Amino acid sequence: MSLFAIEDLVVDVPGRRLLDGIALDLPAGRVIALIGHNGSGKSTLLKVLARQIPASGRVAFEGRALGDWHARDYARRLAFLPQTTPPAEGMLVRELVALGRYPWHGALGRFGPRDHAAVAEAMAECGVAAFADRLVDTLSGGERQRVWLAMMVAQGAGTLLLDEPISALDIAHQVEVLALVRRMCHAENRSAVIVLHEVNMAARFCDHVVALKGGRLAMQGSPADLMRPATLQDIYGLPMQVLTRDDGTPIAIPA
Amino acid sequence: MRPVLRLWLPLAVVLSVALWLVLAARMLPVAQWPAPPFDPQVMSLDQILMAFGMMPRGVIALLAGAALGLSGAILQAVLRNPVADPTTLGISAGAQLALVLATILAPGLLAWGRWPVAMTGAGLAAALVLAIGARRGFAPVTMVIAGMLVGMTASAIATAVTLSQGQYLLSLVIWNGGSLVQQDWSGVQALALVLAAGGIGAALLARPLRVLSLGVEGAGGLGLNVAVVRVTAVALAAWIAASVSAELGLIAFVGLAAPALARTAGARGIEQFLALSPPIGALILSVCDGLVLAIAGQGGEMFPTGALTGLIGGPLLIWLLPRLRGSTPPGTEAAEGPAPRLVRPVRLLVTLGIGLVLAALILIWIGRVPGGWAVLDWDSLRAFLPMRAPRLIAAASAGAALALAGAILQRLTANPLASPEVLGVSGGASLGYAAVIFLAVAPGAALLAIGTMAGGAVALALVASFVSRRDMPAERILLAGIAVSALASAVLSAMMAVGDARSWAILNWLSGSSSAVTMPAAMALAALAATVLGFTLAARRWLGVLPLGADVAGGLGLPLRRARLILILLAGVATGAATVLVGPLSFVGLMAPHLARRVGLARPRDHVTGTALIGAALMLAADFGARMAGFPYELPLGLFASLIGAPWLIWLMMRSVR
Repeated sequence: MSLFAIEDLVVDVPGRRLLDGIALDLPAGRVIALIGHNGSGKSTLLKVLARQIPASGRVAFEGRALGDWHARDYARRLAFLPQTTPPAEGMLVRELVALGRYPWHGALGRFGPRDHAAVAEAMAECGVAAFADRLVDTLSGGERQRVWLAMMVAQGAGTLLLDEPISALDIAHQVEVLALVRRMCHAENRSAVIVLHEVNMAARFCDHVVALKGGRLAMQGSPADLMRPATLQDIYGLPMQVLTRDDGTPIAIPA
Repeated sequence: MRPVLRLWLPLAVVLSVALWLVLAARMLPVAQWPAPPFDPQVMSLDQILMAFGMMPRGVIALLAGAALGLSGAILQAVLRNPVADPTTLGISAGAQLALVLATILAPGLLAWGRWPVAMTGAGLAAALVLAIGARRGFAPVTMVIAGMLVGMTASAIATAVTLSQGQYLLSLVIWNGGSLVQQDWSGVQALALVLAAGGIGAALLARPLRVLSLGVEGAGGLGLNVAVVRVTAVALAAWIAASVSAELGLIAFVGLAAPALARTAGARGIEQFLALSPPIGALILSVCDGLVLAIAGQGGEMFPTGALTGLIGGPLLIWLLPRLRGSTPPGTEAAEGPAPRLVRPVRLLVTLGIGLVLAALILIWIGRVPGGWAVLDWDSLRAFLPMRAPRLIAAASAGAALALAGAILQRLTANPLASPEVLGVSGGASLGYAAVIFLAVAPGAALLAIGTMAGGAVALALVASFVSRRDMPAERILLAGIAVSALASAVLSAMMAVGDARSWAILNWLSGSSSAVTMPAAMALAALAATVLGFTLAARRWLGVLPLGADVAGGLGLPLRRARLILILLAGVATGAATVLVGPLSFVGLMAPHLARRVGLARPRDHVTGTALIGAALMLAADFGARMAGFPYELPLGLFASLIGAPWLIWLMMRSVR
């Protein structure tokens, strides 16, 4: 069964069509990159999948239509990280990660031993256990992004949706965060859909690539399918050159 | 220009002229109209009324409307803010306060005319709002919230001073309402000069303003001295608005409506915008004044024209809301640096609770007597207890309820400036109170309480209908609340302008008092405060997640719409109940959550509990102050609280992280 089955997806805002007739099957258990030029609709598509904005058409998650999911059930299966993470004023790392348990205990339920265990495991998996008692807002950008990832892990969701998770990070932290996401997915058989700007990062860390152009599907396939000059030119409207590194992996640069 | 407007503009011109002609003809047949030059010696009384009353009134409506339209257009252009105008930025209220203060405290100042005084007040208010705005990057919504708060505070102080000087009440209130009644042509001459000078100034500023429309960085990059242009333009706009205030009083929202309509009419570019706004403003005020006169008929004026334009303001703001761009991302509104965080908050909470009980006991025990202070002995304690206990219980409960409402709203909107006053609940409640006073013959306390709660609930329903739209950002909810407040205060000033005993009743209540509370009422309020605290604690997980924004909250499966609705309801009930006692303006709802945060209560559970305790303590302190400061007379409770709260608020907005 596919992770997401999308048919005839259309998103309109007054005066403009953001997504136009998207039909797409996203495979489960893979790290999927969502790429495209600015305004191509990639963030919009991610927000539709996260049920953050309404859309017309048919979208099914794990075989069930999006509208049929109860909010908390959906949050147990799928976690979403917005592009700009808000400041968590006065909140400790462990408290922020514990918020990820909301779909499980709800507004009034008890924060039980299973919740404590899930929080501890999540912090360990994302390597943030060392600063569990620090204020979130005092951490560096990369550390903070890992804390938010830990919150998603604590949610216990099998699917992670990330909206440009590395756009505010330097190159070392970009690699660190994406490597963590890839490791998390492959080790625990999770799925991830990541909106990315950088083609080379997408090709290096993702198993599957979906490219949008002007609100329509431009291509989908493996990173190798993406890294062809003709395909890249089609997506970005710019002549691109693909070089080969010493280890045989391709990198793309503007020609 | 769009075709619709091509139809509407001439229609409005025809309507405005026709209204005036019909009304003037009703006053005096056209054949007998005096022709200039007017010479009172040879005219009949009716002709004098026409030449020095009706005619200048028709002209001054056009002039004042044009001046306000111009002022609003300049402000909107320079602040790049479609909801800026002299009213929403507190400029008019500043002028009003200055005039009220001068009238009562230093009448000698008015010897040089009202202009210098009004100008000073307007200038100070504008400077204050600009100073606040400058620290927050002139974010449109923040500017308006700051401006409206400064305006509300100025009005509160003006009300206080008015209350203390009953003999001036009538003239002050009528002036506040913005009446266009004229006795000669001097006002017309003055405003014509202002409009001409303002027009020239606006024409000179047009090009710098167009460059500024690129944004601060862009304009600076083109070599524009942004600060100079900003100060000059705002000073010009404030001068024009203050002139109108000095001449006619508070005429609200024409400066908001005219540029908005100019924009809708398809005015492109700053030049067109500045040119089209004044004529539209002139038409608006002229039609409004015609309507007021038509309704008043022969029996004299029922209410001042400014009150009618105020009625447009609320709905207009609400209509403009969805068109506001440039929403501030969450967190940029943070007022202060990181707050401290206690390791053992429970200890502090217990201390606070014990302190509160002790303070209440002491306050029952001691009091002022003629010539000094006295500690009650046992017998007088027993005599005083039935009198003092209810008001202390009621004050503390009202404080706790307001504080809880503030804590809920600040967490819900992730905005440290949210408070019940801002949400419009207080305004709606005061409308309900005023409606009962005016509609019922000799209403009882129960009827008044029901009216107040109902008014609060209606205001709440209005705001909640906004909240239920999922994509509505939190700060716009605040703005919707402010719009409701503006509507309420416009209606109130219209009601008060009637100027009889009922106006007094409203004025008295507006400033709040706890002296007439009965024991059952106090216990009911206490029970309600406790219930609200219980529900708020139950919702603590929502209150923990919501400050992180709708994206995160939605991603965690939090039922956003339902949570917002429930929390808004909770805040509204708490506010409505407390408002019956302390009046609509106290700022406890704003102060208490902040204090709780600053003493290190961070987690929702501790924060909410601490907020309630601090709110109760603040209101006890205000009650004590209100009783003691003016001994043997009692100052109104809510008023005293807001006199503490206003400087706090301004201090809070002046200091910020950026």
